[in-house]
Amino acid sequence: MASSAPPPALTLPPSQFARLQPHAYLLAHLSPPASSNQPSLRANGRQPAQFRPTSANTGSLTHTNGSAVVRVGDTTAVCGVRAELLPTSDIASWSVSHASSGAHKRATTTKNDADADADESHIQDLNLLVPNLSLSTGCAPGFVPGAPPSALAQSLSHQILGLLHSTRLVRAEDLRVWYQVPSFGGDGDMDVDAEEDEGRKKKNDGKEIKAFWVLYIDIMIISLAGNAFDAAWAAVLAALRDTRLPRAWWDADNEMVVCSEAVAEATRLSLRGLPIASSFCVFEADAAAGWRAVIVPDAEEEKKIEEDQRRGMQRRWILADPDGYEEGLSQERVCLVVDREMGKTVIVKMEKNGGWAVDGRELKQLVDTAAERWESLKLILEQC
Amino acid sequence: MSSPLVLLPGDEIPSEYLPSTSSAPLRLGAGLRLLSQPHRPTTSNNSTSSPSHVLTATQAGILSTDNKRNAVSILSSPRRRYVPTANDLVIAQIHHSSPDYFHCMITPQAPHAVLGQLSFEGATKKTRPMLKQGDLVYARVLSVGLGAGAEVELACVNPATGRAEPGGLGPLNGGMVFDISTGMAARLMRASSSTGEQQEGVAGLVVLDELGKKLEKAGGFEIAIGRNGKVWVDCSNSGDVAVKATVAIGRCLTTIDEHDLNPADQKKLVSRVLRELKIEV
Amino acid sequence: MVAPSATLSVLNRADGSASYQCPSTGSNILGSVNAPVELPGRRDALKPEDATIEVFVKPGTAPAGVGERYVEGILKTLLGRVILGREKGYPRRGVVITLAIIGGESVGRGDPYLILLPALLHTALLALLSASVPLSMTFSATVLAVDESGQILREPSAEDAATAQSVHVLAFSSKGHLLLNESQGSFDFDTWDKVRQRASAICHGTQLVSADGDVAMAEDVDGRPLEGTLRETVEDQVYRDYNWKINAA
Repeated sequence: MASSAPPPALTLPPSQFARLQPHAYLLAHLSPPASSNQPSLRANGRQPAQFRPTSANTGSLTHTNGSAVVRVGDTTAVCGVRAELLPTSDIASWSVSHASSGAHKRATTTKNDADADADESHIQDLNLLVPNLSLSTGCAPGFVPGAPPSALAQSLSHQILGLLHSTRLVRAEDLRVWYQVPSFGGDGDMDVDAEEDEGRKKKNDGKEIKAFWVLYIDIMIISLAGNAFDAAWAAVLAALRDTRLPRAWWDADNEMVVCSEAVAEATRLSLRGLPIASSFCVFEADAAAGWRAVIVPDAEEEKKIEEDQRRGMQRRWILADPDGYEEGLSQERVCLVVDREMGKTVIVKMEKNGGWAVDGRELKQLVDTAAERWESLKLILEQC
Repeated sequence: MSSPLVLLPGDEIPSEYLPSTSSAPLRLGAGLRLLSQPHRPTTSNNSTSSPSHVLTATQAGILSTDNKRNAVSILSSPRRRYVPTANDLVIAQIHHSSPDYFHCMITPQAPHAVLGQLSFEGATKKTRPMLKQGDLVYARVLSVGLGAGAEVELACVNPATGRAEPGGLGPLNGGMVFDISTGMAARLMRASSSTGEQQEGVAGLVVLDELGKKLEKAGGFEIAIGRNGKVWVDCSNSGDVAVKATVAIGRCLTTIDEHDLNPADQKKLVSRVLRELKIEV
Repeated sequence: MVAPSATLSVLNRADGSASYQCPSTGSNILGSVNAPVELPGRRDALKPEDATIEVFVKPGTAPAGVGERYVEGILKTLLGRVILGREKGYPRRGVVITLAIIGGESVGRGDPYLILLPALLHTALLALLSASVPLSMTFSATVLAVDESGQILREPSAEDAATAQSVHVLAFSSKGHLLLNESQGSFDFDTWDKVRQRASAICHGTQLVSADGDVAMAEDVDGRPLEGTLRETVEDQVYRDYNWKINAA
């Protein structure tokens, strides 16, 4: 370092300022001085309610039953669905649980469902859907390849599993392999539990479940720049839409399930609805105002904040589809999963945690934003 | 004093409970802070009429005010962990020593505190005490340091005068240490430091007076109370009942701490323990 | 509705602890808090100016799995906003909260933890209070289920929750903010709004400001507000601890 030259005035390129003072950097973008006549934009150039450009591609993995790559901005998720057969003879409690399943059959089905007679509890009871999300791909500097699944990865896996169950996206009927018991010779074959089978046959008109398809849904986040859940869920959705299960039947002579090799005979899953996730985060202007200060507004101050907001002095911004930089600067998160049926928005999941800025009014707006996102993502998923 | 005010985190302290006698600035003790601030007093007119600050509790406990020092604080759970505060007297255990410092343990959870090798009364390079691992010292918290990762510093001497002030600071030889709650330690401290003869005892404790009276004949005892929830008892003057008397004192203190005994029960307990241990009074 | 019952400082060696029983959901949680503690290693991962909060949820019958990781994440985010981690002695240290589910029905794989969530939240709060960890406010939480006819059920059992159209967990701060919302199932916004109102009434009660400025907690269909129950638990403990002082005064 030469000391002879006069030190230049301390100027920083924006990229360094963004690293040194991330909070002030984003705040300056969102609330530009009134004189500058600049619109309030996020540091990444998006409007607060704007999502990142999203693209989806299905069927890229040829060795899976269904696959999809979804890219949301710089976050990329790859999802592969692999189907394996689970013969009912391998399920230890099958004969017991199957006989009793009729009792709580209607437990989870709703009245407006087309296939009201389907016994959806099979999916959950037998764990027919096994999602697993992996972040250990070097997707972001914090995630070392080959490390055990981080708490975030585990929690995302659980969220996806929970959502698969609560939306009942996959129909249990699609995963069953039936066998039509021939009407003749039934008594000859059955010896030990003939009585039980008799009852079962009566209920199902001589049809018997011989096996289930188990769907292993593996999600790899290969690039993480915030909002992993939206991308992962969109990838799961696209991959399940792409999934084809080969025709399978029970070969009574060999006593095993046989699959057809013909691609034309494979069937797609018929999914229930199209739930789409939208995540938001809340950026607060005064979060880092004081080094130690934690200011908790009470109800009166909340009103004042609202008043200020009307006058154009915004102190909180709800940012849609946050990127990694924004996620690091906000504590409060909102995650909405919505579906639309006949023009009506149905909320499937609504989570909000980590702060007090979002209440009923804000959530109502976010539901509308999420519904708009549903429309745009629906087009993207239908085109791929 | 009216009925004590029990506060939970987030509760605001009514202004009538604050000492308003002196003009000195109000001192905020543990468990209280300025949390809610009126935002932007310029934007709205009614905020100027509201008090300029609102004190909020951050811990659950009783509000305690000190009119003399114009201070308020919250007395929270007496079983809480000891957090070093400057000027507290503590009983520390030497963990290891380095050329300049003894590294001592105040609580098992906290990082070691440092005690200068020369911070003893009359200590020089040649006459400094040679303390081994496990030895006990009665020390004062000199400073707790600022910021993250700061070390707690102890001293057995008043750096201004070079004397062991208050008396008794320094290595503790012999005796035995008992664990008590931090709240009990604070009460014992007040009870043992006050000399006034009160009917009900100080801070609801009569046990020390009672033990003092009963054990006088046996040779009395020495006691050191550390704010970190330790009490050191030594009865080396008591001759052959020394061990018994030490155990008796320790048992009395820990039992009172555990069961929150009132003064009458404390007296009963003292007599019972002494009787059980066959100490003649 | 049977009010939940709780005890503070049940464990001797922890800095703070609480046990919590909720009769309507059958949950029984034991929680302990140690704070501030030195976290070994990973010093670079600690925030320099804030405390690091760690939450561990231990199911009674099985090793913790992904479901526990998920609920730990929820608790951590919520408590992180309530704990004043920048107070003296807390930055770069850890607040370790361990919650053991010692009673009630176990949660199966992929099942939502929603029914247990309020009990876990309350236990964590009480244990934090017992450890005298500085908090900016307290909170109370409840779980509600909406059945097919639109009826709102308070604190449903596991079977009720399984048959319900939607299940909602809401937590409100002592200052009236909506701190947490976890809703699952299928519902529309108006339903949620009703659920929110009902939950607010359960947690805060319907507040009536009487003439002398005191806020009186009104009794309504939901019995005593949860907030009052929690406050009473803490007050009882404080009165027990400072019996000597109160009697002397």
